[in-house]
Amino acid sequence: MFRIAIKGILGRKARLILTSLAVILGTSFLAGTSVFSDTLTRTFDNLFSDVFKNVDAYVRSSQVIEADFGQEERQRIPLSLVDIVKTVPGVKNAVPDIQAFARIIGKDGKPIGSDGQGPPTFGTIGVEFEGALWTIADGEFPVGPTQVALDEASAKAGKYVLGDTVKVVAQSGSREFTLVGIASYGDVRSPGGATFALFDPATAADFLTKPGFIDAVLITGDGSVSDAKLAKAIQAALPTTDKTETLTGAEITLETQDQIGSALDFFGILLKTFSFIALGVGCFVIYNVFSISAAQRQRENALLRAIGASRSQVTRAMLIESLAVGVFGSMIGLVAGIGLSKGLSALLRALNIDIPSGGLVVTTSTVQQTVFVGTIVTVLSAILPALRAGKVPPLAAMRATALEVSEPGRKRLIGGLISIALGLAVIVMVIVGASNSYLGFGILLVFIGTIVLGPIIARPVALFLGRPAARFRGITGVMARQNSARNPKRTSRTASPVLIGVALVTAVTALAASIKGQIDDVFTQQFKGDYAISTNNRGFGGLSPSLATDIAQLPLVEGATGIGLVTAKLDGKGQYLTSIAPETIEGIWNIGLIDAAYSDLATDSIFISEKIAKKKSFTEGSTISAIFADGQSRTLTVSGIYINNEIGDYILNKGLIASTSVVTFDIGVYIKSRPGSDQKEVLSSLTAAVKKYGQGDLLTKQQYIDKQSGQVNQLLGLIYGLLMLSVIISIVGIIITLLLSVFERQRELALLRAVGMTRSQVRTTVRWESVITSLLGAVMGIVLGIGLGWVIVFALKDQGLTSFKLPVTPTIVIMIMSFIVGLFAAIYPAWRATRVNILDSLNTN
Amino acid sequence: MTPQTRTVAASTLSASKVYGSGDDAVYALNDVSVEFFAGEFTAIMGPSGSGKSTLMHCIAGLDELSSGSAIIDGTDLSTMKDKALTELRREKIGFVFQSFNLVPTLTADENIRLPLMLGNDKGNEEWIQKVISTVHLNDRLTHRPSELSGGQQQRVAVARALASEPRIIFADEPTGNLDSTTGAEILTFMRKAVDDLGQTIVMVTHDPVAASYADRIIFLADGKVVNEMTEPTAEKVLDLMKTIGH
Ligand SMILES: Nc1ncnc2c1ncn2[C@@H]1O[C@H](COP(=O)(O)OP(=O)(O)OP(=O)(O)O)[C@@H](O)[C@H]1O
Ligand SMILES: [Mg+2]
Repeated sequence: MFRIAIKGILGRKARLILTSLAVILGTSFLAGTSVFSDTLTRTFDNLFSDVFKNVDAYVRSSQVIEADFGQEERQRIPLSLVDIVKTVPGVKNAVPDIQAFARIIGKDGKPIGSDGQGPPTFGTIGVEFEGALWTIADGEFPVGPTQVALDEASAKAGKYVLGDTVKVVAQSGSREFTLVGIASYGDVRSPGGATFALFDPATAADFLTKPGFIDAVLITGDGSVSDAKLAKAIQAALPTTDKTETLTGAEITLETQDQIGSALDFFGILLKTFSFIALGVGCFVIYNVFSISAAQRQRENALLRAIGASRSQVTRAMLIESLAVGVFGSMIGLVAGIGLSKGLSALLRALNIDIPSGGLVVTTSTVQQTVFVGTIVTVLSAILPALRAGKVPPLAAMRATALEVSEPGRKRLIGGLISIALGLAVIVMVIVGASNSYLGFGILLVFIGTIVLGPIIARPVALFLGRPAARFRGITGVMARQNSARNPKRTSRTASPVLIGVALVTAVTALAASIKGQIDDVFTQQFKGDYAISTNNRGFGGLSPSLATDIAQLPLVEGATGIGLVTAKLDGKGQYLTSIAPETIEGIWNIGLIDAAYSDLATDSIFISEKIAKKKSFTEGSTISAIFADGQSRTLTVSGIYINNEIGDYILNKGLIASTSVVTFDIGVYIKSRPGSDQKEVLSSLTAAVKKYGQGDLLTKQQYIDKQSGQVNQLLGLIYGLLMLSVIISIVGIIITLLLSVFERQRELALLRAVGMTRSQVRTTVRWESVITSLLGAVMGIVLGIGLGWVIVFALKDQGLTSFKLPVTPTIVIMIMSFIVGLFAAIYPAWRATRVNILDSLNTN
Repeated sequence: MTPQTRTVAASTLSASKVYGSGDDAVYALNDVSVEFFAGEFTAIMGPSGSGKSTLMHCIAGLDELSSGSAIIDGTDLSTMKDKALTELRREKIGFVFQSFNLVPTLTADENIRLPLMLGNDKGNEEWIQKVISTVHLNDRLTHRPSELSGGQQQRVAVARALASEPRIIFADEPTGNLDSTTGAEILTFMRKAVDDLGQTIVMVTHDPVAASYADRIIFLADGKVVNEMTEPTAEKVLDLMKTIGH
């Protein structure tokens, strides 16, 4: 039987290639994403282990506030500690370190580096130090308050050469420097796409953070003591009042790698999730191909059975074939995946994110995982068709047609309905109050049920969808419609990948539309100003607080207010707090205060959102203890509760922050123009003011609101991109099925050609069948996806999502896209169909 | 009818069809010149492999001759491209094959009108109704081929061949798969189509009884026309077949 299986494989190369194609695609995405994230992780690991490679000890503040999402804000230490460290025996050299926000403005006046989501833009200290990775490739290290060095890539991007005047924006405002050096970081032009401006220690502290303060001290030892002992000795020498901690070089390296690792892990998990979805979609295609080929070989298998092969021998032959296809396909998939990850890296490089040339990382676990998963998935997908092949009665050899025409049975109907009913029951439970974590399970059951019911639904829906084709395309349309309904199992299996892809896209789109709608409503209601200046550097620098006061002075401006962010520990837990100026915010932001006014926010009080008040049972008059990043603690009284928590759950008076030594900045400035003033003039006076600071984007109210929802679009774009993998596999699935159907219907096609069907009519028939199949998947997917989106929006109502918005335009777009996908997938199969040799096909029995 | 007044519906002139080349060359047709007359029922007989199907395919525009020409309705087929040939088949030729004559997804009615619908042609409804009632299919029109018997399927095929009022109908062993009663039914019907409806039919067959329904029989052997017989009967055909070693 083994030999028969092998002969079967080699005898039908076309079938082998078609089956393998699905496996290759599925596994190549898996391998590609795996190689890519491994490469990325190692790249950054190397990068960050290199940073502290020659550092033996590291001093920093022990005061740190951790907020949500693992963000932390560490206090700074005095620059004077560097000199104390230098006196410790065993220390060879010690230099200060700062990593803070600094934006280099290019010669053309445009900031260098991407806004917001992209790699960070750093300002740091550049000094001659054997422990540092920065070296000067050209020129020299900056000295004094007017000199700067730039990393090579940024200098190039800004079109700067030595001696040029460079404008840099930082915490304290914008300044101009003379470019004295081009720095390089290890062997890369610009690490991970970040930009760097380097200053001498005093200038860095003054310009980037706070005069006299630095982030850390980097130390090299003279080798007389171990790093651990050195760290201990340094710590002992430092005044305890400064609240510092000293780490060894190895410890700080490990810590940095862990941080980067967890950030990349998220990315890797995202990639992997979507590549597994793609592989799952690929399973359908593999299953479908095996089913069709089993049906087409029915007579062959029946003949084998008739001449004495046992059931299990027939089944085994097919499983052996699937094993071969699985191994063969996943090996090619692996190679294709490595190519794919190269493409991804090239894409990043094109986006100016420089990845050090370390080559791709192909781990043995990637190889094993790809080949193993690919083979298992293929064999599993082939089990059902193989068992079915074994059940072929020997008598089938005598039958005329080898079509797969079995009617979908009662079992299927009952099974599908039960699965959907169970799934709906779980979803209802969640809606009524069960934990959201059951939601995924309920959704999965509905999906499974729908796919099980597919063959039953496929016929009527395909006939319905085919109606326009039959009406307007004449006999070719009629035949396309009949062809798509003649084999409901096959059609529904072909449409299933489309269904899954479309359902996910629709659900995500519906969710996004709801979030965007919500953002629109909320901001229109709450933001009463006319203009906003926003910055993308959340948590890492922002707008100078003086921007708001400057703008408020403008003649055409009625009022302007700045809103800032600080981190602090509230009752022991790190939080982001919003800081406002109560005297200017009135009339610009409406946060929905309940029985309170902005004027109630004193420098020893706090406003909290209704949500938090409920959750923590705070009322007006409750007290909360707050510890700020500089270690100062205050007791704050709740003096107001508000409904709209879009700007944050805790609001403080800016005056309170000013009374601590925490450095703060604004994340936005909001402006109301004088009623009746010419908006063109307002805009030009605002533009001039903003330009002076060189930071922040000036937006009209509508632009500002759009920008808020625009962030949703970015995430949506990423998810769409990842779902593309599944879409590609669906298209390939349709192509493969159509091709197999064309092979199967050769005689029919030959007959049609003989009685007068032109080649273009043949093409039309195949094309419309393809379109109907694709639309079938899309329609079912949209129905499922909208349901899914609604359920998710409902489940998220705790997160503040209140209304479900139907994504009408995207739904129409998806339908049109599916139509196009259908047309596109049919190109090759339709061409093949016209190449059918009339005489050969008519003569073969 | 006298030979002088007959019109030629289709003909070949020195038609040859060669498979392979050199020593391996097989002459499926070797310098065949025949004429098929309008309003006549012609049968083609001959041993297996004698070139009957090849001749039919070449005249019907399904296959190309190696040399010589095939002419239908005054047009030389060798000068025509695929599209024109397809249109010719659709409009001027009707086909009945031995089996697998019908499109499984279409109803009997749709199958009958298939060539017309392909040409976006409504056809002559009166004629079509006449054809349908002649083949006794009125109560089977909405059925699909899988719901019809072998004989009914062949009747639908014959009806399809007639529906577009073609110049000529080619049938390759149309009764080969049928029992003798059903076969007789189909043959009677074809005979009626010629006599009552004035059709032209060319039929390939092995069966002397089937051939006896024809007006004229052409005998092929080794790719050549070896004999001809008019007003045949089954006995006459059997006798002749013995002499030419069928
Ligand atoms: N594609 C082909 N390649 C090579 N030889 C062919 C091909 N088609 C037909 N032949 C040969 O041409 C000759 C005539 O074939 P044809 O099919 O016309 O015979 P036939 O008279 O219809 O026979 P039958 O009664 O068995 O149907 C045969 O010898 C056959 O082997
Ligand atoms: Mg033949």
